[in-house]
Amino acid sequence: MTYKIEMRNITKRFGNLTANDQVNLQVKKGEIHAILGENGAGKSTLMSILFGLIPADEGDIFIDGKQVHIKTPNDANRLGIGMVHQHFKLVEAFRVIDNIILGVEDVNKGLLSYQEARTKINELIKLYGLNVELDALIRDISVGQQQRVEILKMLYRDSEILIFDEPTAVLTPQEIKELIAIMKGFSREGKTIILITHKLNEIKQVADRCTVLRRGKMIDTVNVIDVSINEMADMMVGREVLFDVSKAPQAVGESILKVHNLTVKSPEQTFVKNVSFEVFSGEILGLAGIDGNGQTELIQAITGLRPFQEGTLTFKGIDVTNMSIREKYELGFAHIPEDRQRYGLILDFDLQSNLVLQNFYMEKFQSKFMLKFDRIREHSEKLINRFDIRSEKGPSTIVRNMSGGNQQKAILAREIQKPHHLLIAVQPTRGLDVGAIENIHKQLIDERQKGKAVLMVSLDIDEIMDVSDRILVMHEGEIVANVLAKDANINELGLYMLGEKREANNDGAHS
Amino acid sequence: MERIRNILKKCLAFILGKSKSILVTIKPSLIAICMGLIAGIIMMLIFNPSETLSGLRNLLIGVIYRNNQLNLRGILTTLHHSTTIILTGIAVVFAFRTGLFNIGASGQMMMGAYVTVHVGVLWSLPAPFHWIVGIFLGVVAGTIYGLIPGILKAMRNVNEVVTSIMLNWIAASLLVYLVNRNVLNPFTQGGSQNIQPTAIIPRLFSNYQLTIGFLIAIAMGILAHFLLYRTTLGFQLRASGFNVDGSKYAGMNTKRNIILSMGISGAFAGLAGALLFSNYGKTLSTEVHVFMEGFEGISVALLGLGEPIGAIIAGIFLSYIKQGGFYMQPAFRPEISDMIIGVIIYFTAISLALQLALKKYSGKIKTFIKRKHLTTREEDEQ
Amino acid sequence: MKKFWLFLVLFVATFTLVACGDDDPLDEDPTNFKIAMVTDVGDIDDKSFNQGTWEGIEAYGDANDKEYAYFRPSSVSTADYIETIDLAIAEGYRIIVTPGFLFEEAIHDVQFRHPGVYFILIDGAPHSGDFTPDIASNTLSIFFNEHESGWLAGYAAVMDGYESLGYLGGMAVPAVVRFGVGFVAGAYYAAYELELDTFDFETRNYAYLGGFSPSDEHKNTALAMYNRGVEVIHAAAGGAGNSVMLAAEELDDKWVIGVDIDQRDESTRVITSALKGLGIAVQTALDDIYEQEFEGGRSLTLGASEDAVGIPTGTNAFDRMNTFDIDDYDRIYNMLGGKVLNVPKTPQELVRYIDALGYSVTTGLEAKAQGS
Ligand SMILES: Nc1ncnc2c1ncn2[C@@H]1O[C@H](COP(=O)(O)OP(=O)(O)OP(=O)(O)O)[C@@H](O)[C@H]1O
Ligand SMILES: [Mg+2]
Repeated sequence: MTYKIEMRNITKRFGNLTANDQVNLQVKKGEIHAILGENGAGKSTLMSILFGLIPADEGDIFIDGKQVHIKTPNDANRLGIGMVHQHFKLVEAFRVIDNIILGVEDVNKGLLSYQEARTKINELIKLYGLNVELDALIRDISVGQQQRVEILKMLYRDSEILIFDEPTAVLTPQEIKELIAIMKGFSREGKTIILITHKLNEIKQVADRCTVLRRGKMIDTVNVIDVSINEMADMMVGREVLFDVSKAPQAVGESILKVHNLTVKSPEQTFVKNVSFEVFSGEILGLAGIDGNGQTELIQAITGLRPFQEGTLTFKGIDVTNMSIREKYELGFAHIPEDRQRYGLILDFDLQSNLVLQNFYMEKFQSKFMLKFDRIREHSEKLINRFDIRSEKGPSTIVRNMSGGNQQKAILAREIQKPHHLLIAVQPTRGLDVGAIENIHKQLIDERQKGKAVLMVSLDIDEIMDVSDRILVMHEGEIVANVLAKDANINELGLYMLGEKREANNDGAHS
Repeated sequence: MERIRNILKKCLAFILGKSKSILVTIKPSLIAICMGLIAGIIMMLIFNPSETLSGLRNLLIGVIYRNNQLNLRGILTTLHHSTTIILTGIAVVFAFRTGLFNIGASGQMMMGAYVTVHVGVLWSLPAPFHWIVGIFLGVVAGTIYGLIPGILKAMRNVNEVVTSIMLNWIAASLLVYLVNRNVLNPFTQGGSQNIQPTAIIPRLFSNYQLTIGFLIAIAMGILAHFLLYRTTLGFQLRASGFNVDGSKYAGMNTKRNIILSMGISGAFAGLAGALLFSNYGKTLSTEVHVFMEGFEGISVALLGLGEPIGAIIAGIFLSYIKQGGFYMQPAFRPEISDMIIGVIIYFTAISLALQLALKKYSGKIKTFIKRKHLTTREEDEQ
Repeated sequence: MKKFWLFLVLFVATFTLVACGDDDPLDEDPTNFKIAMVTDVGDIDDKSFNQGTWEGIEAYGDANDKEYAYFRPSSVSTADYIETIDLAIAEGYRIIVTPGFLFEEAIHDVQFRHPGVYFILIDGAPHSGDFTPDIASNTLSIFFNEHESGWLAGYAAVMDGYESLGYLGGMAVPAVVRFGVGFVAGAYYAAYELELDTFDFETRNYAYLGGFSPSDEHKNTALAMYNRGVEVIHAAAGGAGNSVMLAAEELDDKWVIGVDIDQRDESTRVITSALKGLGIAVQTALDDIYEQEFEGGRSLTLGASEDAVGIPTGTNAFDRMNTFDIDDYDRIYNMLGGKVLNVPKTPQELVRYIDALGYSVTTGLEAKAQGS
């Protein structure tokens, strides 16, 4: 039979690193084909080759059995291939409709003509239930909606082959459910879908077949029906993965961070309303909630990235309300930020520099204002090994060239190893593979065993339930629940998150 | 061929202190220079075809070799003139590496120049101290003048490009006011007085213009490189340059970094002015104008690929081409040789900018070019 | 990649090949001496000072079949002037003409090092930095009585019926100061001859622009002056004079008096120009050199007695004047040339001069003329 897409013996090298090594991929028409692999396995690279973003060193591509040469994304578009990238590529200051038609605009007497475009897009929206406001600016809409714009962009170009690179990493559970339904709709229409994801249960839910990559090599292509989640994980990581998080009991100690009556506002909006809570040593406090309910602003206020209007912060009995970010780090804050590319890393620096981003000036790495590069390198090599950060050139790799998951690991490594009492981890496992997630969860629990306080923010309610000792739920800028994880159940948490239920008189302290 | 290439590679690697990919790195600059020269040759063919060959010879090697002998004076004068633009180039590079565009190098240079002249004319100090103090205070003046746009940017988020352009003109007028008031030459009234002999920076060889200022400029290039890439300060400044949010997250004081960076950049520009005006027979004019050397620093920075060491090489190159234009006289009149070297410099800069842009948008441009090609091939296959 | 290196090597090789060739040997026969002009900041088409000198050289060279060229330094400093003069000499030029006092120190340096080369320095005298002239025997320094030229222009303007005059100098350098001083003095003298009861050259209508290049700012300065009633401005400002002419052209009945060379072709509003016989002076000196009659080691000051200053007198020269004509001009010119009249040269002398004519001096005029 002829496949809709066939990639034969694709090889791609970056210097000494072989990102794709003789990879074969065969995708049937109308199927949902998942690609599974560890961080840095070469998934994004393979798809970038198919989409014409980077050239392959070796190998051939066939579409409908005919050999094609895809040199640029425009070539791909012409062949009916569309892609939603791991990090979106939208023009923030443009309207939704402008972003959709960008590059294939109708021009009438030198003016853009929107009429036909609007009709066509509205039809697509109706057909697939992709509701978005066409005249809103990209920067004003949520991440989930931005993703819909990316999808509409593909559909508008009449793409028959749709590539999704980790589409669910940034979505809320509700949005994920909707996306899955949409993808199924596409497949019914006869469109061919390639889906990259680290979430095995999603693969189980939507995919027909699944190709597994490990360290650049193709391991196998399997029918999803025939394998269990555990088997898939094994294939991908090459060892058994434990999904259960096992926690030894740990006594809760002194109060590490005390947030008192914190309010965060902008001239237009109040993000956080008079919030108070405490984090204690030896506990993992999970902060749950639907995206956009003030979690981001709350954490930014605590860490110092955003000014706040009212309230006090106390750290181990010291008033840190007006302290600078560096002073907080020196006292023992560690922070895994939500947006890794914007805050967590200097993408154009090399890995070793990024690993000392907050403490390069300390005795250990500096003498007389000169950086001690040998020490920095030594330090980074240690972390690279311990956290299995994979990259082309090790310590000297420019971080921009690292895979998304490995960038995340670099931040985690840096934050966890540095001396601290409090670890604030926002979406710590976003974009990580199951093996890495397992490792991170272990590290977080380790922290707790060592008597550190951990404040974890996650949109993934399973992660919250598995890892936390205690759970706070945020809704519209307020903390509406404070429950022990062992007493919590998913349905009840869901109601709190939706704002349909709230604990009376909750002061955020230990219950 | 292979051997020559290897030797060349090693030399460059030695100069630039990196290995392997050096030639790849400077390839855009080399291509740019070739493009510039070709444009220059076309100009020469237009203006004086019969003298094109001799003009070209003088332009390219007149600085080194003239009238059948080594032109030592040409070489040393070229190096001498490169001093100023190397330093303004470093000033622009330094700011650029930290995410700022210092278009105000001219103004900072003017302030440095004035203070040096002021000290040189009005103060009385014994020899080495006099010029050292003059230059030092010139650097201080440049620094202060550079701090102004830095502070405005850090505190009020005013774009440094806008402020420094305005500050250039303020400096130009202020300079004339100060010269008229303090150091006007009473005999000519057309400029400042000569600085005292004790304030003149020593020459390296008594009969040639080249001073130790050139060595200082080279040292500054190395210092800037060192500062940027080896020190904790450079680490922070560069981090802020690449990603302000990221540096803020990392606990760096990004406001302080902006101010510092503009101050240091201003110091380099101030030094450029200070060194230039501690030369024998160099006086400040009372005509209101902005020094061009500050803008030439932008070309130098671009051609030097935004690296301090690159600025040294690019500065010498530009100075070499200009001096070559000087030696095209009298076959090519100054206006014409000016135009030719102007064309070379602009072509070089444009070609370089184009290449860098091409790299960024290569995909799009390639598509544009190949669109036709591809469609025909697809049709063939069908 | 390979292709690129090949290209680069070929490129370099081509240029290296070009690098062979010879220069002419120096020519020792005096009649074949080549003439070089070296400029300072400006170009030779500055519409005044440099251009006047250059046109004199051009005319002489063409008429007498001499080779001539012009050089410009690569930057503005005494050291670079010296280097440029040395370049011209190395290129075989044996006569060096340099207009402008900026060359004083440079000529002082080269005149001793190149005794076989002739130097003509206009508007300056060589010195070692102390402003005490030290002129070698191969050097001729030429000054002009610009004040006489200005005087004649000012006299002509007032005699022609204008009563409100203005003066715009480029910068307060000595020659430009003298033009202004003479202009004001000539105006007062005409008023005195016309027996006007009052005559005022207002201090605010006397200014220096601060530069010799055209700019909108200068034009605005001129516009402002015209708008407060000034009818004629004497612009002694090189290329900046063109900005003054543009201002005059925008208004009705506003006029300009040019400087250095006859500027009537620059604008229809130029009624006359205060000339400086640059071309004649240079040509005379060149003639002396080729005739082996050169008398160096001295400083010449050329004025009305030498026929080296004045206003244009050729055909149509007076057609933009109301009544003033060649006869009026000749009468007064002879008085100047014959030293019957004496013209003030400095602002201090100007003040005394006005006083002696029986008019009151507007306050601040002396300081203004001085440029402070
Ligand atoms: N432009 C590049 N230059 C150098 N190395 C690169 C570049 N892009 C990717 N790599 C390397 O290739 C490998 C594969 O990267 P890729 O982005 O394809 O991984 P991935 O499977 O998508 O991982 P993740 O799940 O973390 O997104 C990584 O080790 C990465 O460091
Ligand atoms: Mg990826």
